[in-house]
Amino acid sequence: MVDLIPIWLCVFFTLGIYSILYRENPWFRIAESVYLGTAVGYAVSQDLLYIRNQWSGQWSQSAGMMLLFALTMVVGLMWYARFNKSTFYLYRWPLAIIVGTGIGVALKTVIFTQFLDQIIAQANTPFFVAGDLMGTINNILIQIMVPSVLLYFWFTGTTRDSAPMKVVEKIARYTMMAGFGSAYGYTILTRYSLLIGRSQYLLGIPPNPPEAKLAFIVIAFVMLASMIGYDMFMKKKTPEE
Amino acid sequence: MSIMKKVQNLDTRIIYLLAWLFVLFPLISPLGLPIPISNDARNWYNYVENEVNDGDTVIFSLMYGTSGMPELFPMSVATMKHILEKDVKIVVVTFWVEGPLVFDTLIGQVDPADYGKVYGEDWINLGYIPGQETAIGSLATSFQNTVANDYVEGRPLSSFPIMDDIKSANDVDLIISFETGTPGAPEWLRQWNTAYGVPIIVGCIGVSVPGMIPYINSGQMAALMPGLTVSAEYEVLLSKPGLAVAGVDAVSTSHLLVVLLVIIGNIAYFMTKEDEK
Repeated sequence: MVDLIPIWLCVFFTLGIYSILYRENPWFRIAESVYLGTAVGYAVSQDLLYIRNQWSGQWSQSAGMMLLFALTMVVGLMWYARFNKSTFYLYRWPLAIIVGTGIGVALKTVIFTQFLDQIIAQANTPFFVAGDLMGTINNILIQIMVPSVLLYFWFTGTTRDSAPMKVVEKIARYTMMAGFGSAYGYTILTRYSLLIGRSQYLLGIPPNPPEAKLAFIVIAFVMLASMIGYDMFMKKKTPEE
Repeated sequence: MSIMKKVQNLDTRIIYLLAWLFVLFPLISPLGLPIPISNDARNWYNYVENEVNDGDTVIFSLMYGTSGMPELFPMSVATMKHILEKDVKIVVVTFWVEGPLVFDTLIGQVDPADYGKVYGEDWINLGYIPGQETAIGSLATSFQNTVANDYVEGRPLSSFPIMDDIKSANDVDLIISFETGTPGAPEWLRQWNTAYGVPIIVGCIGVSVPGMIPYINSGQMAALMPGLTVSAEYEVLLSKPGLAVAGVDAVSTSHLLVVLLVIIGNIAYFMTKEDEK
């Protein structure tokens, strides 16, 4: 019996979140608030676990390291200074450290990973792939479309208004539209995958617990009945007033 | 009001209801539609099968939370089963806070002990490391300085035999990362692939696919598993049908619904446009 509680809770919160599709309602509010609270609590617990492990694992070994650890804790606590106007300026210190280290760490290789390697790959793309017609067409399109899109965002000089550039702009627009269409299609896949995954749980399809099926029927009925019933009651009541 | 005008002003709740029906129906009563194997699935399977050698060290990283599970969990399970069949060392780590939670669920379905793997000798779970890209870079420099204790037993890394030969990114042969966003593939590529030359294969949600393809074309990424459908194909290749295969019919019917709605919406738009003129 106790084993069923997490399953019923899981079904309740899944349907609670999806109940927003009908309209804003208390079931959704409960599910949303509990989810947010739980997610934040879980995140804080994981962060604290990491800090505790760092302390016991290495930073408590010597006085110097303990001092450094205490200093980092002080810097960490300065994040919370943003909640008070008089101490707000302190919040800029940890922010500066995070932004500075983050950019510094990324910058050392970003020029290779996302710039030079991509240019080299583009330059190395052959126009003709032996025995692969689709590959050849694909590569020719890449060689035409990528430079076109890059040129589309070239805003300086008078050549932008020239006749050849109008053709390039047209190709670039179609390229970007194809790109956005592809992204939209994949987004549909992701959103539906989410619904399919939760539906598999609600229907108790293995390895999900089979008990979820009964919980799904009962909770869906209660939620729908309460929302539709309330709407009908209010509809009936409004003309009388 | 004409039917076409009614279609244009259709209550969105009817569309949601249709979406539920088109998903639930094939799950309750599977259609058994064929699952053709794409190049993406074949590349992923071939890479894990042929390029991962005995004695290799593999990073297995679940860079997603519960919201990414419906799409990424089936491929994570299938890949874990695949690499557990090999004689490799597996280091589980995540830079997403809900990652340990997801891995706990995965372990509930795929127990490494069933494959003869011993915790601390053949695999280890380092848990969650906060700090995003900075943490990813730090782990590449030194495992021991970045992670003090393991996630499962809370013991120092030095007490596990598996970590004797794993000190930095130089000791890792492959990264397998499943992800929904940042930090993810670009961070792995910047801190591990470009800096240390560690190969990486990535499983991602559909939304991320257009952003990943340039890395595949440039050869920076060795293989890509884009979304649930390819995950189903991989399960077929492995002969281990799971949740992805069970859900692939629903993917087809739900996409059919979207296509139908787009067509009907366009017809209604153009027909009512004529009326207005």
